[in-house]
Amino acid sequence: MRALLRAAWHIAVKDVAIEWRTKTAFASGLVFAVLVLAVLFFSRDPTAVASSDIAPGALWVTFTFAAMLGLNRAFLLERELHGLDGILLTPAPRAAIFWGKFAANLVFVGAIEAISLPLFVVFYDVPIWVRFGELVLVIAMATVAFVAVGTLLSAMAVRTRYAELMLPLLLLPFLVPPLVGGVQLTARLLEGRPLSDLSGWLKLIAAFDLAFVSLSATLFHVVVDE
Amino acid sequence: MPPADPVIIAEGISRRFAYRPVLVDVSLTLETGEALLLVGPNGAGKTTLLRVLAGLLYPSTGHVDRRVPLGMVAHDAMLYPALTARENLRFFARLHGVNGTRVETLLELVGLMHRADDRVGTFSRGMLQRIAIARALLHEPRLLLFDEPLSGLDPAATRTLVQLLTDLRQRGTAMIIVSHQLEQLRGVGTHIARLARGRLGPKDPLAGRDPVAVFTELMREDG
Repeated sequence: MRALLRAAWHIAVKDVAIEWRTKTAFASGLVFAVLVLAVLFFSRDPTAVASSDIAPGALWVTFTFAAMLGLNRAFLLERELHGLDGILLTPAPRAAIFWGKFAANLVFVGAIEAISLPLFVVFYDVPIWVRFGELVLVIAMATVAFVAVGTLLSAMAVRTRYAELMLPLLLLPFLVPPLVGGVQLTARLLEGRPLSDLSGWLKLIAAFDLAFVSLSATLFHVVVDE
Repeated sequence: MPPADPVIIAEGISRRFAYRPVLVDVSLTLETGEALLLVGPNGAGKTTLLRVLAGLLYPSTGHVDRRVPLGMVAHDAMLYPALTARENLRFFARLHGVNGTRVETLLELVGLMHRADDRVGTFSRGMLQRIAIARALLHEPRLLLFDEPLSGLDPAATRTLVQLLTDLRQRGTAMIIVSHQLEQLRGVGTHIARLARGRLGPKDPLAGRDPVAVFTELMREDG
């Protein structure tokens, strides 16, 4: 277990260091997030639809598609000089690659979310501070679900010729449940309702967290072994 | 009679891609200190065989018994272009559980200490190859798999690598070397075998013979 955690840590640190140095996915993810927030804000008719009505959907669409750019990057950086083969030749457990990539992706997506959230407040003028702690918890839980399955699917997609196109096609169907849960919970939290009233949705996201993380970790070795 | 000290035993290896057979019933045993020069035309399955032996590909049928830690130098350097040479080697050293001193030793050995803090994305093909060799040697493996190790190397780097391979073999490291540059590998190989259309010929001891001459002889026998 210690060997797995140590190897996962080294892989995560390596991925974060590469992204920190190149900033390719982070910069594109951030620009994308700003554009989506702005486009959705200006596309509504302000006399007919209040910005707060579309805010939860806008927030989750932004997070989802911006995160997808980062998830794509996770294995594309392994493809250039086949770094992944180098890892596979070490005694590091295969599972460590999943957990390392998963952790690095969480850092990446979390950073994009942390920067997008204040922009979301600026555009949509929503009272996120009323239930800020609960909102952060919901965002974190939904993010864990789609980053877990995204890490697995990006490892599959990178072996195809059109990796950048394949990942959204594979990933989006899996994102529907946590995404719907995230939107529903965000809408209610922005209305000021306490999280204790929303335990059904919360349990749904928690169930998907458990299912996606355990399944992705279990199936990952099958994807990298061929 | 079974071999004295085999480091790897492959039995009945076959590998298909889609429905195309690339390796057909390949069996191979390599012992400590043996250096097998693996020759054959393009598309014969040499790279696939090395990847199966390394565990990077599963065989469709057959079994590989790896008895010692192995290192591999392939067509691709298996490195990260955005990291420096030192960072790359330190990363792989950590995964192997090897300390940082070994990294410095190997940077010195492959003659790239002066570029240790440059990103490998800025390196020439030959420099990438030298860092890839350093990566493969990090954990002092007892079996080395080389796929065209001399490609991209200048004459001085070639001489250094050939000397290194000779020293490693003399110290007991077994190796399989896929190369078309046999004349430069004189003195390294102890055996030679030909792979053609996925089938491996017998492992022929060189016993002081010139590998180029033996290869020519093998080609003539095949018609």
